[in-house]
Amino acid sequence: MVISTVRRATSGRPPLMRTSVRRGITSFIILLAMWEIVGRFVLTDQVFAVPFSAVVEAAIKMLASGELETHIMASLAAVAYGMILATAVGIVIGVLLGASVTFREYAEPLMTALYATPLVAMAPILILWFGIGIGSKVATVFLMAIFPIAINTSTGIRGTDREFLEVAHAFGARWLDVITKVMIPAAVPFVVTGLRLAVGRAIVGVVVGELFGARAGLGFLIFTAGQTFDTPALFVGVITLALIGMSLTLGIKAIETRLTLWKGSAS
Amino acid sequence: MNSVASMASSSPSARPAALTLSHISKSFFSRGQTLEIMRDVSLTVEAGEFLAIVGPSGCGKSTLLRMIQGLEPPSSGEVRFSAGDEHAAKRGFVFQRDGLYPWRTVQRNVMFGLELANVPKIEARERALAMIELVGLKGFEEHYPNELSGGMRQRVNLARALAIDPTMLLMDEPFAALDALTREHMQQELIRIADAAAKTVILITHQIDEAVLLADRVAVLGARPSYVLDVITIDLPKPRSLALKRNPAFQAYVDQIWEMVTRVESPIERKNFETNDRLA
Repeated sequence: MVISTVRRATSGRPPLMRTSVRRGITSFIILLAMWEIVGRFVLTDQVFAVPFSAVVEAAIKMLASGELETHIMASLAAVAYGMILATAVGIVIGVLLGASVTFREYAEPLMTALYATPLVAMAPILILWFGIGIGSKVATVFLMAIFPIAINTSTGIRGTDREFLEVAHAFGARWLDVITKVMIPAAVPFVVTGLRLAVGRAIVGVVVGELFGARAGLGFLIFTAGQTFDTPALFVGVITLALIGMSLTLGIKAIETRLTLWKGSAS
Repeated sequence: MNSVASMASSSPSARPAALTLSHISKSFFSRGQTLEIMRDVSLTVEAGEFLAIVGPSGCGKSTLLRMIQGLEPPSSGEVRFSAGDEHAAKRGFVFQRDGLYPWRTVQRNVMFGLELANVPKIEARERALAMIELVGLKGFEEHYPNELSGGMRQRVNLARALAIDPTMLLMDEPFAALDALTREHMQQELIRIADAAAKTVILITHQIDEAVLLADRVAVLGARPSYVLDVITIDLPKPRSLALKRNPAFQAYVDQIWEMVTRVESPIERKNFETNDRLA
């Protein structure tokens, strides 16, 4: 490719890493170093704070025993099932909200109100309804994730370019064609934004659900570690959650890039 | 369409009407006010002819085309296609802003109308490829609209309309957004394509020279509320080329239409007409 040749010629050696990535990693390293110093020399009480190295040590031990994996799988399963359900139902509701004025007038005020409600507060009652196992966690994740998906989908559907609809009508499209071939593809970037918002809320949902009652899961791990003053294990739980959140967000970013290839700049 | 003999010398009424517009009026309502944009427009479009409709901006010529397509109902009057033939109503619409779906490749955009008509996939693909070749975009089938220039996008727009094999091609100022050079190139291309496709064509334009170059007849609309000032038969040999623009007979037609328009337009509306002074 001519362009890459030119770029290489002007910048000399291609950099190992993009500057933005390098800077992001730098601040992580600084944070972890400060944590290590504070944990080792300033706050020496092992209940209040532990150095980062102690957390790494605990993580290795829990990985070796298979304990960490059990918790990760329990939480991930709840997030996965809850997200799949929320995505399927959320997109359907979003399309209905966007495409049907009647449905929108009935449902939208309710949806908006529920979206603004901290539904994690429902976790205890969901545990009563669905039991202490995975069911109640899936339900919590579902409740947390469905609203951003539905509302963003609806926004995307309603924002469909008028000309796109006109073209469809001019070619004799029926209403189902208009929805599946025009409105939904046009709404895809919005749906993906909804998914990204939903993933963050889903993780909050699963952790809170597990805090209130569970047999396994990262929330359960954090809860029991807190009860037994096992501060390193508590941090292992929190950091694992952070890593899971980051990976899921990156995964959705990849899906987004894949689905919106057509947005690519002019060649 | 006859290729060599001058079409227009044959009497217009000799050919069957493909479309009859009778006493079309159109008003819009906005903010409690009625805006009458069209009053009593009657026109007959013959099968196989190329009819251009010119008029100043805001005269409702695009609205007229939308009414023919069925995207909008007339306030009164009737749009009637030649009776008995179900295909008579099959129209391909070429949009002013191309209206291509950015998430579809060129090929899948061209296939859109065929998909809606449930044409089998293989057949639809073949048909689309043929149309893409006809409009000169072979090799760009897998490109997305964002990767194409304005002229290329209008070619896709045209191919999409032709793909459904319409009997009638409705074009709403298809070259208005293009630069002058690309526009002339596209005019030349349209002459070739319209000839090859042998369709009845209705072209909306505000460029008088474009209308004279392409059309068998030019319907001239007046300003709001618009009505048909006159329909002029362009008696120039076909197939035509851009060189015709230097022909005195061509210029005479342009002047005649220009005269007609400026006679009735207010000075403010006059500037909405463009002639090609460069070639005058």
